[in-house]
Amino acid sequence: MTEHSLTASHVVEYDYTRSLGPVLSHFVTGLRDRVVRGTRTKSGRVIVPPLEFDPDTYEDLGADALVDVGEAGVVTSWAWVHEPRPSHPLDQPFAWVLVQLDGADTPLLHALDAGGEDAVSTGMRVQVRWAQDRVGGIRDIACFEPEGAS
Amino acid sequence: MANNVAVVGIGQTKHNTQRNELSMPGLVREAATRALEDAQMTWADIDAVVIGKAPDTFEGVMMPELFLADALGAPGKPMLRVHTAGSVGGSTAMVAAGLVKAGVHERVLTVAYEKQSESNAMWALAMKIPFAPPLVAGAGGYFAPYVRAYIERHDVPDDIGIKVAVKDTNNGVLNPYAHKQMTVTYDEVRDSMMLWDPIRFLESCPSSDGACALVLTSEAHAASGKLPPAWVHGMAWRSEPTMLARQDKVNPRAGQECARDVYAQAGITDPRRDIDCAEVYVPFSWFEPKWLENLFFAPEGEGWKLTESGATSLDGDIPWNMSGGVICSNPIGASGMLRFAEAAMQVRGQAGAHQVDGAATALGHAYGGGSQFFAMWIVRNTKP
Repeated sequence: MTEHSLTASHVVEYDYTRSLGPVLSHFVTGLRDRVVRGTRTKSGRVIVPPLEFDPDTYEDLGADALVDVGEAGVVTSWAWVHEPRPSHPLDQPFAWVLVQLDGADTPLLHALDAGGEDAVSTGMRVQVRWAQDRVGGIRDIACFEPEGAS
Repeated sequence: MANNVAVVGIGQTKHNTQRNELSMPGLVREAATRALEDAQMTWADIDAVVIGKAPDTFEGVMMPELFLADALGAPGKPMLRVHTAGSVGGSTAMVAAGLVKAGVHERVLTVAYEKQSESNAMWALAMKIPFAPPLVAGAGGYFAPYVRAYIERHDVPDDIGIKVAVKDTNNGVLNPYAHKQMTVTYDEVRDSMMLWDPIRFLESCPSSDGACALVLTSEAHAASGKLPPAWVHGMAWRSEPTMLARQDKVNPRAGQECARDVYAQAGITDPRRDIDCAEVYVPFSWFEPKWLENLFFAPEGEGWKLTESGATSLDGDIPWNMSGGVICSNPIGASGMLRFAEAAMQVRGQAGAHQVDGAATALGHAYGGGSQFFAMWIVRNTKP
């Protein structure tokens, strides 16, 4: 007798909801209005995107601790994407970049439309390219582009 | 020799259908910061964090212990996650208490939560797994046949569930944190929609967003809190399989054994006499008479008589579910810890309008899964 090990597919799919809370809601509504916001911690560091609590002391940091930062900054690290996938923010080859915006002490992850790999370097200055239709979400920043590009 | 465990800080959120003004980290922090404030401690005073919630599929947050470590001040400290379905809030408190009892940590923060408005609890319980029998959608449908079996086995008057619902719902009005804030009459409960015969709408728990947190310490830090501590005199948990043909789901053996164990630890021989009040996991009103028997407050078949006589009312000789219980608030993962917390609040004298005068010994109880996980603790206002 042949032994069989039976298998069957098991697909699980549900609808869920998420609430952003008071601090990140300000962040995404800021993006809709073309403003990038961070939080100032008790020690004076500016964290972007903002946090609900101080990462050093874990005390609450409410909406009062929000500060606006610049929409341009410096690339602190990057990785080139030769073949973008359908879910990526850009159709053409681009760089994932960590950008430390002016006035911020931490970098933000986003995409950089640089034209080519040779045009990207750590330390280069970049600026936000805003999406045409902004709805309150991280993709209200379409991508970053080299400063002065448009 | 095990160390004594003290409950020095207790915090909970306002429970509601939707706390959508809060993120999930914000929800757990509302409870945790209140517990720390009650304990007169800061995040830096905590040695370890133990978190619990119901299945990950409820909110679709895989591994909430990773997601919430930052929000609960855990970086650089031990963080544990506990899961035992609906009893998880109780089990989580017990894992935290065990760390203190064993002398591993001095000051442990434990938190349990559920954000049902962002979750899909009903369908998460109704997953159709290949080669396995499907569970019906939702807990009410699963438990209704066992309620019917209880009624028929002992020829119980068919309105006991209504009486429990009236008592618990009206107790909830005395508790500012309770989700349901409504007074109900016997007729209103009787006339409410039959959801899963014999369980009516007003005999059922709501779906709530909420969290609960406790700060547990060794004896060295027992005087930290704003109030004298509640002392843990016994903790017990038991499990049994989900589906086993000879299992008695009306009066589960695991619940009886768990109760015997926790009573033996706390020196309780007659629970109705030796315990001043009990906060017991009653998500559908009919579970009060069932659990009165399972926990030996009444002989088998006679639990409903305590309910009917008013013994379990706030002014009865053995109040059950002073806070309004699960019937009034059900943030599932937190519901067990809320029962444990209410027991501790009672013996600390901090239960406000639902305080039982002079409560010195209280039982906190939780159950979960298909009546298969049980967790209980006995707390007193005196040191063991």
